[in-house]
Amino acid sequence: MADTTRSDTPAPPRAAEISNLSFALIISVPVLLFLLVVVAYPLAYAFYLSFHEIRFFGGYSATWNGLANYSKVFSDQSFWSSLGRTLRFTAETVVLTLAVGLGLALILKHLPAKWRWLRALIILPWAVSPYGAGIFFTYLGRGQTGIGTAVAGWFGSDHTLNLISARFVIEYLAVGAAWNMAPLVAFFLLANMLTTPARLYDLAKIDQMSRLETFWHVTLPPLRFTLFVFSCITTVLAMKTFDYIFTATQGGPGGASAVLTYTLYKISFVNLDLGYGAAMSFFLLAVILGATGLLYLLWGRKEERQ
Amino acid sequence: MTGRNTKTFWLVLAVAVALLWTFLPMYWVVKYAFMTKTEIARFPPMLYPPEPILASFFNIFGFDYTTAEGTVFKASGQARQIILGLRNSLIVAAIVTAITTLVVVPLSYVFARLQFPFKGKLLAAILLSVSLPPVSTLIPFYTLYVQLGLTGTLFGLIVVTLTITIPIVAWMLIGFFRNLPPVELLARVDGFSRLYTLTRIIVPMARSGIMVAAVIAFLFSWNEYVYAQILVTGSNAVTLPAAMSGFLFQVPEPAQLAASLLLSLLPPFCIAFFLQKHIAEMHIA
Repeated sequence: MADTTRSDTPAPPRAAEISNLSFALIISVPVLLFLLVVVAYPLAYAFYLSFHEIRFFGGYSATWNGLANYSKVFSDQSFWSSLGRTLRFTAETVVLTLAVGLGLALILKHLPAKWRWLRALIILPWAVSPYGAGIFFTYLGRGQTGIGTAVAGWFGSDHTLNLISARFVIEYLAVGAAWNMAPLVAFFLLANMLTTPARLYDLAKIDQMSRLETFWHVTLPPLRFTLFVFSCITTVLAMKTFDYIFTATQGGPGGASAVLTYTLYKISFVNLDLGYGAAMSFFLLAVILGATGLLYLLWGRKEERQ
Repeated sequence: MTGRNTKTFWLVLAVAVALLWTFLPMYWVVKYAFMTKTEIARFPPMLYPPEPILASFFNIFGFDYTTAEGTVFKASGQARQIILGLRNSLIVAAIVTAITTLVVVPLSYVFARLQFPFKGKLLAAILLSVSLPPVSTLIPFYTLYVQLGLTGTLFGLIVVTLTITIPIVAWMLIGFFRNLPPVELLARVDGFSRLYTLTRIIVPMARSGIMVAAVIAFLFSWNEYVYAQILVTGSNAVTLPAAMSGFLFQVPEPAQLAASLLLSLLPPFCIAFFLQKHIAEMHIA
């Protein structure tokens, strides 16, 4: 009721008019119900598993063991190191994706009309699956087959130059993830940029703003909400990533890229320790929600108020 | 005039860097599709196929390939899976795209433009389903599907894929709708109903955004690998990514892997081309 009296809608009384809430509910409830039914069961089942010890040897058995799985996570060294890798990979991926996306969008925006077909090419990496991106970057980086060795070969060297080293594998993977995701960010930013009225740029010119000032005060403000949304989306996708890392490095070399999802995969699908895997996956879920919540508190709230 | 020339120079340089960034990783693997096993194994790695051959493309569809010199490239044992995968991926992606677009456009419009109670909580529910990592829901999904007899079915795969596409596409579109000029208030003041406002005013205005949403849904569905690998591999409902993984893990076949990867890229690439045309149109409007 309260929302029909908003000051900016001096709506004339209408008989068969429904409120914002009912309109919103009619549209969103069926969808949310579908998601609830299809997502809730697996979630509840994972919750059940996390309080049990599941054994397959000598017949399937599920033994209640209370919070043992959860407390085991805290003392598990591989959990903490995997979490560190996930955070490092995610932070680097988000920063690179937004930076490359913004750069590509600016290039696309300044293309003269006869070069506009280039837009169709720049978006292509985003059409590649994470699975395919993993395959691309594994062959591109590996010493035996990779670009590093090929370039060294030009200069007459016959050494292998491996880009996928234990020390920087996370950075290498973050570059690949940004390669995969940035074009989408670029296109959303471009769509936003094109809705910025051209006369604002004329005004900026009259005010004799420098190029940087124009970018900061005219180009950037309408993009900030999109940048926020994509920092959240990229955070979630990077933390969830499994297929990309699975095809790119299989957690290697020597476990150096075993992020949390990969460690979970090994626990649940290789060691078949389903209860423990389920418990740890709730820690991953908490980390994902915590990270997006933090982004919202630090950044999103500010953007939404504007 | 010199100012204009330096500007063009920097733009050309930026475009060249962007194109190199875009194509180098793809080119590096796609070139394998036109090479033989010995050429691929050469050290240091070759920059381009010395004598491009199309053998891999015949092999993945189940045909032997004989060169002029009489060398025979044997048909792949995975051919049946690849052909099935191609068909199934197209079916699943088409259905998922249609349903996702129909559902998500009104949903994200409502969240972007209307103020109503519980908005934050409903949005949080969507966010939660975006955040669920497939690795942790895989085993529950698998057991559920075994009980319901949905493993190895296209229907089951479509349902799972919708749980991925709907929340994430909604999230992306909400930001887009927020940036449309607020014309619907005028329309509402003029006495148009909500549904009329949405279908006759907002949807035509947001056409490009809706196209983008459809493309995103298509790609997420077309590229889905994790669930497909567990739920449909080896069955008649296998999808292309799951079918391709045979070239990666069991007996590595870089040439056939690259050929099927290239094949799997063609539909998304065509779609990306139409998307670009659409954004260009938007610019005129």
